[in-house]
Order: sequence, then C-alpha cells, then structure tokens
Amino acid sequence: MDRKTYKTSETVDFIVVGSGASGGIIARELSRAGHSVVVMEQGPRMRPGDFEHDELKYRMLSGITNNPATNPQSFRKDPNQKAERASGSNPLTYARIVGGSSAHFNANFWRLHEVDFIEGSKYGGIPGASLVDWPITYAELEPYYTKVEWEVGVSGLAGANPFESFRSKPYPMPPLPVKSSGVLFERGGRKLGLHPFPSPMAINSVMYKGRPPCAQCGLCGGYGCEVKAKSSSVWTVIPEAEATGLCEVRPESYVFRIGMDKGGRATGVYYYDADRKEQFQKAKAVVVSANGSETPKLLLNSATSGFEHGLANSSGAVGRYLMFNKGGGAAARFENPLNEYKGANVTRVIHDFYDSDPKRGFYGGGGFDARSGGPLTWGQSVPEGTPTWGPGFKEYLESYTYWMNCSGHGTSLAQETNRIDIDPELKDDWGVPAMRVTYKDHPDDVKHAKWQVQRAVEIMDAAGAKQIVPGEVGEARGGVHLLGTCRMGNDPATSVIDKHHRTHDVKNLFLCDGSSMVTSGRGQPTLTIEALAFRAAEHIAKFARANEI
Amino acid sequence: MKQPPSSRRQFLAAIGNLASAGWVAMNWPQIAAAAEPMGHMGHDMAAAPPAKLKTLSAAEAAEVDAIANQIVPGGATPGARDAHAIYFIDNALGSFFAAQLPSFRKGLADFQSAYAAGSSAGAPFSAAPEAQQIAWLHEVDKTPFFMAVRRLTVLGMLALPQYGGNFEGLGSKLIGVEERHVWTPPFGYYDRDYAGFVPYPGSKTYSA
Repeated sequence: MDRKTYKTSETVDFIVVGSGASGGIIARELSRAGHSVVVMEQGPRMRPGDFEHDELKYRMLSGITNNPATNPQSFRKDPNQKAERASGSNPLTYARIVGGSSAHFNANFWRLHEVDFIEGSKYGGIPGASLVDWPITYAELEPYYTKVEWEVGVSGLAGANPFESFRSKPYPMPPLPVKSSGVLFERGGRKLGLHPFPSPMAINSVMYKGRPPCAQCGLCGGYGCEVKAKSSSVWTVIPEAEATGLCEVRPESYVFRIGMDKGGRATGVYYYDADRKEQFQKAKAVVVSANGSETPKLLLNSATSGFEHGLANSSGAVGRYLMFNKGGGAAARFENPLNEYKGANVTRVIHDFYDSDPKRGFYGGGGFDARSGGPLTWGQSVPEGTPTWGPGFKEYLESYTYWMNCSGHGTSLAQETNRIDIDPELKDDWGVPAMRVTYKDHPDDVKHAKWQVQRAVEIMDAAGAKQIVPGEVGEARGGVHLLGTCRMGNDPATSVIDKHHRTHDVKNLFLCDGSSMVTSGRGQPTLTIEALAFRAAEHIAKFARANEI
Repeated sequence: MKQPPSSRRQFLAAIGNLASAGWVAMNWPQIAAAAEPMGHMGHDMAAAPPAKLKTLSAAEAAEVDAIANQIVPGGATPGARDAHAIYFIDNALGSFFAAQLPSFRKGLADFQSAYAAGSSAGAPFSAAPEAQQIAWLHEVDKTPFFMAVRRLTVLGMLALPQYGGNFEGLGSKLIGVEERHVWTPPFGYYDRDYAGFVPYPGSKTYSA
C-alpha cells in the first residue's frame, strides 16, 4: 500500500504526537472523519519479523524503550533535593516505537469500576493526597470501553467477574486458554471464598479482524507480538488510519516543541527527523498523546511568551500528580512444573479487593493476577536462604519452571509534589532538556502494597504452594504506568484539560493519554486510555465539524 | 535435502506433536499462516555467536571463567563453562556493558591480588584446586566484583546464544526451557485436566 505523505509546508488538519494506545486511535478516528493527519512518533517502525524473543535486549538493554543513555532522566524523592541522573534504567519507562507502549504491554485489559470515578466524593480528604472525582463517570465512558473491546479486539468472558461494573456488550472473543498459574490461582482463590475469573486480554483468542489468535509464545510484557495477535496500535488502528489515505505516520520524528502564534494558538510542531535535522510541521490543531511523561515534558519545554511556565499550564498542574500503580505480591513454587514461559502472561484475575475499605485503616484497593517473569530477570535474585552461587544456586535455577507469581496491582494516590518537570542541567542526545522526576510514595500506598503481599501469600498457600516468597515493598523509584500528569477537570485553576480533552488554555491543543487520568485506577490502565481516546476523538471531530477549533 | 532453519524445524515439529489439542485444531491454520511468513527467519539468520575472546586477555578470561564455573558448576548437568558463559561475559564487556569494563578490570585485579596475598602457592585462582577456589569465593562473595561476575554468569547462561553464552541452548535446557516460538495447551502439569471455568452462584456468563 502506498502510504500518504505530507510536506512540512502543508498545513494539515491535525498533528497527533505519539502513535501508541491513544495516538493510534485518535489518528484513526480523525482521519476516518475526513481530516488530514500526521502522526509523529519518536521511535522507528518495526515489522512483525523485527521483534525478537530476546529478554536481554528488550528487558535489560532498552531494545525498544526509552534508553537512559540517549534519553536520560533525573530523579529525586524530595523537591528540596538535587535530582541525580538515573543510572541503569530510567525512572519512567515507555516503548519508543510505532505503536508506543501498546506494542510491548502485557495486554491485561480490565476496565475501571464505577467507584474509580467518584473516589474524591467517597474517600476524599486524605492528608497529603489530592484524591478528587473525575469530571466524567463510568456510565459516560462505558460505550467507549465497549468500543475498544470490539474495535481493537479483547478476549474475555462477560459476567465472570462478579465485581465488574455494568457492561453493554460481551467480549467479542472467548478467553485465552488457561495456564497452570491460572489454574492454581483460581484453586487458591476459590478455596478462600474469592472470585477469580478469566483475564480479559487485548490478545486474540481466535481469528479476529484479520489477525490470528495468539501463538502462545509466552513473551507479551516487554515484547512486540510478531504474529500480530496482541491488539497493539501498530497492528490495529494505525494501519486502519493509514488505509483512509489521509493519515501519515512519521517514525523517528521527535517532537520537542509546539509552535505558537501571538494569538495563543498552536501552529504546528518542531521536531527532529531521522537525521536529527530540525523540522516544523504546520497544522490547524495539535493532539498530544505522547504518554504521561513525554506529554508534560513537551508542554513544559514549549514555554513561550504568554506561557512562561509551559503551555496550558496556567493551573500549574502540568507534570504534577504523577501516579504509578503500586502493588505487592508473592512468588510461589509448586510440586510440578507450571512452565510459565509458555502462553500469554496472564490468564486469571481477582477483583474481590478492588474497592478501598476503610476497615483496613488506609486508602487503597487493587486486583491480583497470576503471571510469569522471564528467566534472565528471575535468575538474578534468590529467595532468602537460597545460596547465591554454587550447587545450591544451580538447583534453584533448575526449578525455574516450578514457579509463578501472584501479583497485586493497586492504587497510587495523587500528590501535588509528585511530578515531572524539566531538569535545569540535564539534556538528551538531541540537546532537548530532559525530564526530572520527583516521587515519594504516599504512606497509604505503602500500607496497601504490604497488605496485598499478605493476601498474595494466602492465595498461594491455599493453592498448595510448597514454597512462598513474599514480595518486598520498597520505595517507588519509577514506573511504567505513567498517569495523572495533565489531569482532566472542570476547573481551569486545578486541571489542565477539560472533560473533552481540550486544554483549558489553548483552544486548538488537546491532550489524551495516561496523563489525562485523575486517579490511578488499580493497574492495567491501557484499556481506559484507549476508551478515553475514542471518546476524545469523537468530541474533537465534533468540534472540528462545528468549526469550534 | 537442505534442512530448514532451526526455529522453522521447531515450528513444524510443533504442528506434528501437538495438533491433537482442541484449541490447536480450531485455531492452527490461522496461527500457522501468521507465524510462517512473519518469519522467524530473521532470527535464524542472527550473527554467529562470538567464540573467541575480544575484550579480556586469556589470563583474565581464565580467572573469570573459573569464578563463573563455581557460580554455576558443571557435573551431571551443564555449568557455566559448558554454556560458554565466558564468551558472553567477554562480548558484553566489549559492547553493551563496555562502560563497566574499567571497574570490572579493577575488581578482577583486586580479586587476584587479594587471592595472591592469602595464598602461598603463587599460582592464579584459576589454577587452584576446586575446594580452595570455593573456600576463597566464600570470602569474597559479597564484593561488587563477585556480584558483577555472578550477574554476568546468569545472563551468560540464559541469554540468547547469539550473545556468546547459552551454548547450544545448554543454559535454557538447565532451567527446563525449550526454545520455541509457538506453544499449545496444555502448558504445564496443572492445566492438563482443568475442567473449565464455573460461573459463581448468582452470576451468568455470556458470550458474543
């Protein structure tokens, strides 16, 4: 297929910065609505055969993620400290390829619950936190959750999770085959009176929309899917956007500033092309879907006359309220081999502890799942009491296929001091000022994570584990779920975007990605980000039709 | 007849061995159609693994190899030496972990001098009898240098053979992992006889 290309001198209707979970959907919807669209992506475009089963490269050498050597970040726990350049890995990690983090996610795809949108009213007033309601409800987002499940492709079993909020349609595909970890997790959960259910996954279980079912290679989280069974933007909405003949995806195009005119309108984006040559693409409007770290970085680096503290930052909220999804779990060894290296990473989930419960004495809730990890990472540490080298260590290595993880995924409270801003000294390989991350767990997040460890131990014990290793709950020094940094809200004094994803300050600038989220949910945010993207695109297209951009 | 490349052979074997499972029968044509042309051929043509030293001297490598082979000893099953972990370590320190080479070399020099100071034999660590090596490693197994060798040894056992270690997949075999691109249920012991998901009382599952 000949792909549409635009000249930088042409004024396109929309630039979408980022080709991931949100950017891909917005590009498809806007181009299907008849608009000319250029999608800017920092990273390269990989073909299916380019993805490798290489844990060293993908999980340890930043093979497809932002690389600390070329895209450095600094980190500090306290705003009064000097941030230090992170070594080894960056605090905030995301995939830097066409498809963004939807290309390398685990694909565990649960919806938020009704309560997620109203926790400010229900539990607000937590000291040190800014727990507020979303400006939209679950009911408003529900049709778009359904749209993601059917348009992008999600497998699962409707009605199996007794705690799920209402849904208007079942999943379009049945759940994936259960793994041994799922069977044991379900066994333990049921024995405790809990309600494990087949995991909803953005992975095809049958042929769907021209893509095949999962080959069960076992490498989902951190890897691209070479058979296209994983419902990543690069295999789903991006080709559909291009098929309109109106959308160009421009890889290796690193947007570093949004252009502005004297009237306070965005005029396009400045970016470095594949040869690191500066370019400017003109556009009538800009949608930034660059992820919860790159979106605020771009706004802050776009400070200009009239926007001295960064674009769309009259509230001062750009970059603030950074959230991850803190959680705690346990590893467990069983009598017989599970072979967790085979099959999609997650096959069973528990939502019994999803809601926060004041009786626990702290705010926090979450979900649990049964999942696996790669051997290179697994082999680097040993349970307490196991030799770190010698015959005893070798025996431990030989037990790899007998282990599984029971992982808890939970809440992180929004705090004003947890933020991304621009490091005063550090720059990346392109000379672009780098992001500085300031983050300290809220005490309730830590208490909840430790509580989750206890529940995980109980589930694994009830499942019949021969050895259980409770997870350690350490201080968060970064994450992969990058949330809340340009929060949505009705009040321009306290939020960055309105409920339609338009920035309060710049009429033709829209933001949609993890940064839009007001609370953290309980992990697995991509389905929500994609639902928000379908909803945002619908409103943006409506505004364009009404000449209101 | 020319043999197809290894992962393709494995792929075809998977069809033959596992085609009886219901899920496979239902979905196999689509999986096979997708996986075949998308080819793992790119992976099959990966560069040949390094099989000679490029970064460390022979004397340095002998010392590191001796340490690695105590971290994962050989015997009835393969150890670090059998898996050519030293070639991975040498390759890593000359490329993607090159920034660590100066501190690694200094750590090795300190290791050697400390060993020499505590030994009357005058021979390097690698020439010492096994019991003596083990005794000495117990003295130093909390040092950053030992921890670095340990980390690299584990990676050298398990990373893809193209990086120099995991020779002939011996490391993968040690941990019970078969290198294939396609799997079909049952995956492990506990999902063989799974009877299927039973909905909870009061709930009703439904499908498209």
